[in-house]
Amino acid sequence: MRRPIRIQNLGGARAAILHRPHATVQALTRQLAAIGLEVTQFWPELGPEALGADFVFFDADMGHDGMFPWPPGAPPMPMIALIGSEAPGRIEWSLRAGAHAQLLKPVGDHGAYSALLIARDAFDAQHALSAEIDELRQRLDRRQTVVRAVTLLAARGKSEEAAYAQLRQMAMSWRVTFEEAAERIVAGSRGPMPLTREEGDG
Amino acid sequence: MKRRIELGLLFSRSGSYSLISEACRTGVLSAIARINADPEIDLSFVPVERDPGGNFDLYGPMCAEILRDTGARHVVGCVTSWSRKEVIPTLEKHGGTLWYAVPYEGFEASDHVVYTHACPNQHLLPLLDWVMPAHGRRAYLTGSNYIWGWEMNRLARERIVLAGGEVMGERYLPIGSRDVGRMIEEIRFARPDFVLNSLIGPSSYEFLTAYRALGEEDGHFRPDTCPILSCNLTECELPALGPAAEGLVSAGPYFRGEEGWPGGGSFGSSHEAAAFTAVRELARLLAGRPGAENLSLAELLASDQGGIVDPGTHHTILPALIARVEGGRFRVIQRRADLPGDPYLTRTVDTPAAATLRLVK
Repeated sequence: MRRPIRIQNLGGARAAILHRPHATVQALTRQLAAIGLEVTQFWPELGPEALGADFVFFDADMGHDGMFPWPPGAPPMPMIALIGSEAPGRIEWSLRAGAHAQLLKPVGDHGAYSALLIARDAFDAQHALSAEIDELRQRLDRRQTVVRAVTLLAARGKSEEAAYAQLRQMAMSWRVTFEEAAERIVAGSRGPMPLTREEGDG
Repeated sequence: MKRRIELGLLFSRSGSYSLISEACRTGVLSAIARINADPEIDLSFVPVERDPGGNFDLYGPMCAEILRDTGARHVVGCVTSWSRKEVIPTLEKHGGTLWYAVPYEGFEASDHVVYTHACPNQHLLPLLDWVMPAHGRRAYLTGSNYIWGWEMNRLARERIVLAGGEVMGERYLPIGSRDVGRMIEEIRFARPDFVLNSLIGPSSYEFLTAYRALGEEDGHFRPDTCPILSCNLTECELPALGPAAEGLVSAGPYFRGEEGWPGGGSFGSSHEAAAFTAVRELARLLAGRPGAENLSLAELLASDQGGIVDPGTHHTILPALIARVEGGRFRVIQRRADLPGDPYLTRTVDTPAAATLRLVK
C-alpha cells in the first residue's frame, strides 16, 4: 500500500451507533469504550449531532437511506455496517449507503478495532482518490488552454516546441503550474500584453 | 467454613518457554497456599491443572476441558500471546475468565481476560524513553516469529522514527530456533546504538550468548555502549543465561527485592508477582459472596469497588521499572510513576520521560 495506515488518534474519537437497543449495541459499546472512544447510540435515525462523529456504525438489517443526515452514499466519516442477515439486497444497500467496513452480528468480544482501522483506511483512500481524480479532471479541462497558449506563443515566430519550452520557463519563473501559466497567457492575449521580456523570454 | 472453589491452571511445564510457565505457576500456588491457610477468607481454591506441553493447538481444547468438565470458571495461565488468543473463543463460549500474568504487546481488551502484567505503555515505551537519550537512536530489532515480536517491533519502529531515530535492521526467528548467526552478522555491520530483543526461549538464550561473544571481539557491542533491551526477560530466565545476561536492560513492574507493587511479600520475578496478584485479586472478588464464583467477569467487576482491575480495559495500574543485570541480578536504574495499562495507546499522553522519572541509586 502506498501509505501507512493511521493507527493513532482513536483516543477520544467519537463513535455513533445507529441501532435499536440490543445486546449487540452493548457489546460493541464495551469494545469501543475499551479502545478509548466515546460512544453515542441513536435510533431510529442519526441526529444532527452525529455529524460530529468520527465513525458511524449502522444497522444493515433494518437500515434505509432516510436514517442519515447526508445524501445517500456520501457520508462525511468512515461507516461500518452491522450485518445480521447476509442477504444480497441488504449487503447491496449497505454498500450504497457507503459502508467502508463491516462487523457481523451478533457482536461479541472482538472485531471493533479492526473494523475501525479498515473503515478509516478505506475512507482515507476513497478521499485521496477523489481528490486526485478531481485534480486530474481539472488538468484535463485545462489542456485546451495549454494548446491555445502554445499557439499564441508560436504565433510570435517560434516553433511549437520552442513555444512549449517557453511556456514551461514562464511557469517556473512565475512559480505557478504549467496550466496556470497557460491560463495567464490566454487571458493576457485578450487584453494588454502582460509579458515583459525578462519574464517571457528568459 | 470455607467454600471450595476450583481454579484452572493452564501452563506448559515443558517446551521452549517453560521457565516462565514455572514462575507464573509458583506465583499461583503460593497465593493459593496463602488464601487456603487464611482463616479470615471464606474460601479455598482447589487447583485443576492442564499442561499443553508447549503445543499451541492444545490450549483451546484443554481450556474447554477445564470449563466444561470441572466447576472452574476462572483459569490462570497462558504465556505466549498466541496461546492466549487460542483460548479466548473458548472462554467466550463457556463464559470463563482467563487471568493472564505475562507482559504482552497490547491491542486487546477481551471481556473474558484480566491482564495483570504490563502492556507497552508500561514496558516498551518507558524503555525507549530511557534508552534513546542515554545511548542513541539507532536501533536493531529482533523477535520471534509471532505476534509478540511483530507488534513490539512495529511499535518500537513507530516510536523510534517519531523520535528522529533510525531502525538499522529487523529480523525474526521461528519459535525454538537457535539460528542467530545472521542476526549477529547484521548487527556487526549495522553498529546500532541498542538492540531490542523480543525473542523468546532458546532463541533468546542463544542470541544473548552470541552477542556477548561479539562484544568480546568488538568493544562497541559491550552493554555499556550498545545494550540489549527486553520487555519480557525477568529473573526466572537468568539461570538459563548465566554470564550472557550481564548488562542486559529489562523493563517490568517488579524486580526481585523491590518495594511497592504488588506488596504482600517478596517474589522471584515479576511473572511470579503478577500471577500471585491475579489469584489474590480473584479471591478478594469472591470472598464473602457465596455464588460469586459462578458470575461472569463483567458481572463480578460491575458489582465490585476498590479492585485493581480497570472495568473498561481489564488492565491494571503498574509501576514501570528499568533494571540492568549486574552480578547475576537485576539492579533498578530508573523507576517511573504508576501507569494505568493503556492497551490501545489511546489514553497515553506523550509526555517527556524527564517529567515523571526519578533516579534510583
